[in-house]
Amino acid sequence: MKKIMTLLLVLTLALGLFAGCESDKKSEGGTLNLFTWEGMFPQEVLDGFTADTGITISYNNFDYDETMLAKLQAAEGGDYDLVIADDYIIETVIDEGLAQKLDMSKLSNFKNINPIYQGQFYDPSDEYTVPYGAGIQTIVYDPSLVDIEIKGYADLMDPSLKDSVGIISNYRVINGLALKIMGESYNTEDISKIEAAGEILLDLAPNIRLIKDDNLQDDLVSGEISAAVMYTSQVTLAKLANPDLKIVYPEEGIGFGIMAGFIPSKAPNPDAAHAFLNYILQPEIAAQCFEWLGYYSTTEAADSLINDEFKEFLTLPENLNLDSEMIQLVSSDAEEAHSKVWTAFKAATGK
Amino acid sequence: MKNRTKLPNIYLGIVTAIMYLPILIVIIYSFNESRISSVWEGFSFKWYADLFRDKSILDALINSIILASLSSLSAGVIGTLAAVGMTKVKLRTNSTVEYIATLPIIIPEIILGIIFLLYFSLLGLRFGMTTLIIAHTTFCVPYVLILVKARLAGMDKSFVEAARDLGASGPRAFFDITLPLILPAVASGMLLSFAMSFDDVVISVFVTGVNVNTLPLKIYTSLKTGVTPKINALCTLMFIATIILIMLSAYLGKLNRINTTDSKEETL
Amino acid sequence: MKKKKRKNRPGLSIFSILPLYLFTIVFVAFPLIYLFVLSFLTRAETWGVVNQLTLKNYLGILDPIYLNTFIESFKLAILTTGLVILVGYPYGYFMAKLNSDWRRRMMLLLMIPFWISSLMRLFGWVTMFRANGVLDKFLMMLGIIDEPLKLLYTYPAVVVGMVYALTPFMIFSVYSSAEKLDWSMVEAARDLGATRWKAFVTVTLKLTLPGLLSGVVLTFIPSMGLFYIAELLGGNKVVLVGNVIQEQLMKSHNWPFAAALSVVLMALTSFVIFLYRKITKVKDLEGLV
Repeated sequence: MKKIMTLLLVLTLALGLFAGCESDKKSEGGTLNLFTWEGMFPQEVLDGFTADTGITISYNNFDYDETMLAKLQAAEGGDYDLVIADDYIIETVIDEGLAQKLDMSKLSNFKNINPIYQGQFYDPSDEYTVPYGAGIQTIVYDPSLVDIEIKGYADLMDPSLKDSVGIISNYRVINGLALKIMGESYNTEDISKIEAAGEILLDLAPNIRLIKDDNLQDDLVSGEISAAVMYTSQVTLAKLANPDLKIVYPEEGIGFGIMAGFIPSKAPNPDAAHAFLNYILQPEIAAQCFEWLGYYSTTEAADSLINDEFKEFLTLPENLNLDSEMIQLVSSDAEEAHSKVWTAFKAATGK
Repeated sequence: MKNRTKLPNIYLGIVTAIMYLPILIVIIYSFNESRISSVWEGFSFKWYADLFRDKSILDALINSIILASLSSLSAGVIGTLAAVGMTKVKLRTNSTVEYIATLPIIIPEIILGIIFLLYFSLLGLRFGMTTLIIAHTTFCVPYVLILVKARLAGMDKSFVEAARDLGASGPRAFFDITLPLILPAVASGMLLSFAMSFDDVVISVFVTGVNVNTLPLKIYTSLKTGVTPKINALCTLMFIATIILIMLSAYLGKLNRINTTDSKEETL
Repeated sequence: MKKKKRKNRPGLSIFSILPLYLFTIVFVAFPLIYLFVLSFLTRAETWGVVNQLTLKNYLGILDPIYLNTFIESFKLAILTTGLVILVGYPYGYFMAKLNSDWRRRMMLLLMIPFWISSLMRLFGWVTMFRANGVLDKFLMMLGIIDEPLKLLYTYPAVVVGMVYALTPFMIFSVYSSAEKLDWSMVEAARDLGATRWKAFVTVTLKLTLPGLLSGVVLTFIPSMGLFYIAELLGGNKVVLVGNVIQEQLMKSHNWPFAAALSVVLMALTSFVIFLYRKITKVKDLEGLV
């Protein structure tokens, strides 16, 4: 009996170690360990890459950019070959030395990138990243349920919208909306301005029915909410499900964000990562990806290939002459003020 | 005394029905033609076909089973040994260690998850199945420990004493007398541990590593991109599997009981 | 008794408690100490922490905004626990009165849901409460309402989700207490002329109190930290300590503050357990299953 117990214990440990090592074994040779959000690529593109190159893809997902950074840091820049994440976190990743410079000789399609999305704050000389999709925060509303014409953020406070607005759960975007109403920058580090923005948000609170990041479009389509501030991909999905919805580029100004791929500093298989980046930069493949992803195409060469059904959602509106600004990291004091304002706002929406 | 009223049974029935209501809805919507769960578009089996094509879900299921088995097993060994040992070795630190050991089911999961992430990277452990098992074992141990201790407390110690007086060694007395007596508690503790580990999302998010996806994690991430009825289909199949397993074990248990009573009667 | 034989026993038995000691110290105590230390450190400007001791994190909790989330969490936890008692106590009590076959069957019925993803079960409630969802359709069909109730993303929806998730623990606790109950004592009280109610309060309630109280502990404590129910069913409008901790970790990059919030929350929950032990004079939580 005792032997059995000991055996079980040993077996437990052995199995655990075995399971732990199994991943090592896989990553040798032809595997690409991709680390990004769920559902960033259509299955056909992933399969096509494997068919073309013989490299199998192991798709690992994270829920927040921050989880990704924590994991990457824990692995000291190893484990993963290619990461696709948001702009602001990439700035930190590069600062922390967790990304490696791209080998341009392996990226023949690098020229296909739309220059608008290059040379940004997180990678000023385009050494580390390949952009993959961009978006702006847009207001979308259902004209059959909303009596007023919404032109900008300030209209969301209209009393007729009581308990019927949905917003994404990103406090820099939502606090920023109030800052924009005040005519300020998203990235202001002036605490008194952030607090003033908080006061404005308290006026918005009674109209808020829902705060969530994921699938906000479902609630707009099902009629749970009648207006929403959402991400570009959600706008695309909402509009496809209900073409009568109205898209508004807020007159106060918009914030935009870029997602980009980078290769971690100690990626086990950087060649596979380069091959994959180059693969998705091909115009036809990129068009397929963006139609799936629902964000603005960052690969200019793909723009003309995108199906007409999607075109208006996937390319930046041409006549958009609004003041647009990217959200960047701010000082820790400003960050704390932001989260305090946000917590107070959320508590007020529940009242 | 006979129950004069049926009211208690009606009450039990209603509450139990309400407990199963959300499960019923999940099952019904697994047959929904529409991709969005807010609209019903007609009856369809296509999500089941979709489910069987998805190899990643099968991988996740296997990972989950390995993880839950190993964590509940380690918890079973650690918890049982300690519960029994503590009845003999009365150290002054016992109650403190016991209290700390039960903390993982008292601390909010999110805190536990992040501490493990930070602590494991401090130790330089590689994130993957090993870290998952360690983390899950921490919240499985308390269930086994508490249940076995409760069982031991209500147990007649004279059996063990008698065995030892008759010359049985410590381990021998443990395996021949104590273990069979506490086995129900060990089993239910491990079963509960298995269920808890099998369902854990919050802690797993933080301690999983490259290439290791568990079923709850898969469900969690698909909640983010939009639950398709595929996940409902998966839950339906798991529900059915659970019921089959339970019926099977009840049946086997019955067989077992009949056999043992038979043999007892024979010896009598 | 033969003293000689007994002597080497503790020596051997040390090995049986050793795994728990080691495991608990290395994987529970050390991480917790780390958390405690972390709560006194300073956040780095963008990411990580700086080794600089401060009390700022604890002082930050005293800000009315964050104190308020503690109060809100407390209120919700009390409301949830109250409702869980109302639903779970009679259930566990009635269940204990069934015959042994039915008791076993009910136990199985209670266990089965644990094997279905808790997230999906919550999602079942979402489908139910949605505007024009299952509940609305049903009530409209019966002609009870003619407008969607808009129950999803409201406070009551969160309460339903909480009560749903935690009631089984109360049932298990009460049941394991009531199962041991000697019904002849209740009978005796009744024979001595006590009313049904009086017999219940003086005998049954008193004897099942440990189970009830452990049920309270098992529901009260998790309800302070269950952040995803508030997220899924409450549309993030109910801000609990768990939500703040999650946000400080994942979005504000303020780990020390999250750690300080966690330490305070743990201190509060430990206090609840301390009270439980004081009142019941029991060391283990009864029927924790």
